[in-house]
Amino acid sequence: MRFHFQQAVRAFILLAFSVMLFKLHFTGEMTKFINPKYEGLSQSAAVLFLILFIIQTTRIWTIKENSHHHHCHDDSYDHSCSHDHGDSPFNTKKLIAYVIIVFPLVTGFLLPAKVLDASIADKKGGLAVLTNQKSEKEKDEKPAPNNSQQKDPVINGDLVDLSRLEELVYTKDEYNQLIQHLLQSSTIKMNDDIFSTYYDEIQTDIEKFKGREIELKGFVYKEEGLEQDQLVLSRFLITHCVADASIIGFISELPEASSLKENTWIEVKGVLDTTNFNGTELPIIKITTWKKINEPKEPYLYPISVKIL
Amino acid sequence: MYRVVRNNIIEFTGIMLIVLALLLLSFSTSFKLSFDIPPSLLNLNTIFLSILIEALPFVLIGVLIAGVIQIFVTEEHIQRWIPKNKVLAIIMSCIIGALFPACECGIVPIVRRLVGKGVPIHAAIGFMLTGPLINPIVIASTYMAFGNDFKIAGLRMGLGFFVALMVALFVSVIFKGKQLKSPIHTSTSQTRSKKESLSTRFWSMLTHSIDEFFDMGKYLVMGAFLAAFVQTYLPAKALLEAGSGTVSSLSVMMGLAYVLSLCSEADAFIGASFSNIFPTSAILGFLIFGPMMDLKNTLMMLSVFRMKFVIGVLALIISIIFMTIMLVQSFI
Repeated sequence: MRFHFQQAVRAFILLAFSVMLFKLHFTGEMTKFINPKYEGLSQSAAVLFLILFIIQTTRIWTIKENSHHHHCHDDSYDHSCSHDHGDSPFNTKKLIAYVIIVFPLVTGFLLPAKVLDASIADKKGGLAVLTNQKSEKEKDEKPAPNNSQQKDPVINGDLVDLSRLEELVYTKDEYNQLIQHLLQSSTIKMNDDIFSTYYDEIQTDIEKFKGREIELKGFVYKEEGLEQDQLVLSRFLITHCVADASIIGFISELPEASSLKENTWIEVKGVLDTTNFNGTELPIIKITTWKKINEPKEPYLYPISVKIL
Repeated sequence: MYRVVRNNIIEFTGIMLIVLALLLLSFSTSFKLSFDIPPSLLNLNTIFLSILIEALPFVLIGVLIAGVIQIFVTEEHIQRWIPKNKVLAIIMSCIIGALFPACECGIVPIVRRLVGKGVPIHAAIGFMLTGPLINPIVIASTYMAFGNDFKIAGLRMGLGFFVALMVALFVSVIFKGKQLKSPIHTSTSQTRSKKESLSTRFWSMLTHSIDEFFDMGKYLVMGAFLAAFVQTYLPAKALLEAGSGTVSSLSVMMGLAYVLSLCSEADAFIGASFSNIFPTSAILGFLIFGPMMDLKNTLMMLSVFRMKFVIGVLALIISIIFMTIMLVQSFI
């Protein structure tokens, strides 16, 4: 019997990936990484890793006599399969390769998942992206007025969702009802599930909503160019994973703005108005009442899906 | 006798590894760092892991399919179908490549074997370009990455196919011969695998998938980390300025695709993360160029083909993608 150290290392890495994915699911931390809609995919990845681990364990020990040709199926062809089968001698290059693969395991197990904060909002372009999104949207809106299905999917694919996955799925009728509801209600309540939908509607046609009351929560984000009494009440919208988070938010006006620190979560009531920011017309919330709240359990927003068929 | 010992040892080792992993798990849950980590590093780590977690299922499916192909499809099957006519051969090879769900990590050795066995170089290149770009997993992941919309996925496949055809046509005009660095020795024993039982072949398919995972795992991790690093530390404003025009934004994204060397099964998610910074045309450049040729792939090709040939193909790919996207960008 011969013990293959590298095969054992590989087996352990496969197992560790599986354990890490399962751990994130059971602790509920997974929602800090990906949209819950896609949890099933990463669960199946965890199961696959476990299966591969079981297969890999059989390669740790080989019987000496035929250990040389045992593992490479390809030896029947000209051997150009070019894969590292984990049997060739260990060297620095390989050490680096293993270190790289182990790296995410180490950080995944040891470092806590962090909810994205205002510094990322800034790196994502902050208000520049907000204003940018809007102007592009207006451009797209012209050829197909009030038809959200025709919009450029890159900019707001969130509304053009074809999936029939269980969560946050609306039929076209339900979706239209939602918009009708928004148009008619005197107070707009920005709940998490419809936040991005309402947000898009309000951005598209600010005039329609001017003077309406609005209730929402978000974290404080500030940027140069804002007045002393202004802040951006922001949320992150996660389409798939945290990496594709995009910031959405309203410029808000309240006298105590300068005393509020970035990343503070607040719940506000206010009135919608318009303002001019760097030459673009943007909605602004004149805050009437507000209070500090703790960071919600689900800090991120997920786009709703609309069934088209 | 050996068998009994062997079986027990395997189970024992497996259990030991599981125990070790569980120890690690319990250690990590009670683990508290003695020093504070700057929040930006935690942000970096979160984004890095989220890219990985999102990409891993697709990578695993990819290596499993690659394993199936490596074991169950022989090059002879493909070679038999390639016609003598150059143009027909190119169209054929591009279609075969599109049907052949390879990953760019595994396609270079396959192409080398194909060329060694007498497949003309232009057909091999067509196959190499469409193989990683057009396949069900890439379509599925692109479709999902861009908010379950088929437009980007469709454009990626359609334009990519066109670019592959054009590159292969130019290659057939410019380059002759095999262009291999050194002739490879084709061994004579090709019958053994047919004698192997189905279960042996299935088993070797799975082990092959594991090897493939470790082969490309490091590139995936590096790519995810670089992408996360860019997101955490590079202000989007700098990128917005660097890539404000169509030409410059396309150049930035194509450069990024080349340097990141992402696996085609996972790059859609990373491309999508730039979609609120860059125009669609630049994102398409990223999505089409990445799977065809990148830093990692170039290195692999240099170990197989002549330097002049590799650089020639790279220049062809870049210029044809660039021109194609500039031509169609007003329509998308």
